[in-house]
Amino acid sequence: MKNEMTLSFVAIEENEALARMAMTCFITPLDPTIEEISEFKTIVSEAVTNAIIHGYNCDGKSLVTLHATMDDEKVMMTVRDEGAGIQNIEQAMEPMYTTLPHMERSGMGFTIMESFSDHLSVQSTIGSGTVVKFEKRFSPVTETSRMG
Amino acid sequence: MANIEMTDSGLLIVTLYGELDNHEANGIRTQLSSAIFSGQVRAVIWDLKNLGFMDSSGIGLILGRMRDLAPFGGETFILNPSVTMEKIFSFSGLEKNVRHCTVEDVMREMGGVLYEK
Repeated sequence: MKNEMTLSFVAIEENEALARMAMTCFITPLDPTIEEISEFKTIVSEAVTNAIIHGYNCDGKSLVTLHATMDDEKVMMTVRDEGAGIQNIEQAMEPMYTTLPHMERSGMGFTIMESFSDHLSVQSTIGSGTVVKFEKRFSPVTETSRMG
Repeated sequence: MANIEMTDSGLLIVTLYGELDNHEANGIRTQLSSAIFSGQVRAVIWDLKNLGFMDSSGIGLILGRMRDLAPFGGETFILNPSVTMEKIFSFSGLEKNVRHCTVEDVMREMGGVLYEK
């Protein structure tokens, strides 16, 4: 099945759940396993939380935009903000590195996104925003996997 | 959503439900820190059996409470995470705190009584 979607929402923390819910519905036709759903939701949650907190500092008016396309076996997705941007992407992607330790951000977001996706790239410009792009493959549905 | 319970023997039991993301973690943090600083907490037991989802905000929440506990030498137990959550804990070096058992098992080990029987 081929499908495509775009979703935009303002930068408030409550929309982290909205993003996960919408994206979970979007991938349902791929008949993902519980673990695949859960890993996919985690990637979405990390990227969207970053956009809301780091990109826009929860300003409640700027828009985070999700875009996703799907074919029979994979989902390609971008999470875009037009906010602060990342000073040093390499450093941001190091495990345990965070610019907001007082908010108890663990600094594990990018490590988790990289581990749970099949391909991840980050483009960012200071003052004009960040685009996180990733791909996740889903195991094809076969009669045996259905009998599971 | 979190249910927080403190035993007479100084065990803080945190049972988590639903989805633990950044927004949820911010709500739970305040409740927990005041509990830890107000009493003699010997250990925090996180029961994730009924938790449906957790992202790195859960790691931030747990590591933060481990830091609060450190001056008192308190221990941390993470019970029954899902397969995906367990991966997240091991990326973060917390796999040694993960157990697959009941809260009562840990309490027996720590020498506490939850319900007077």
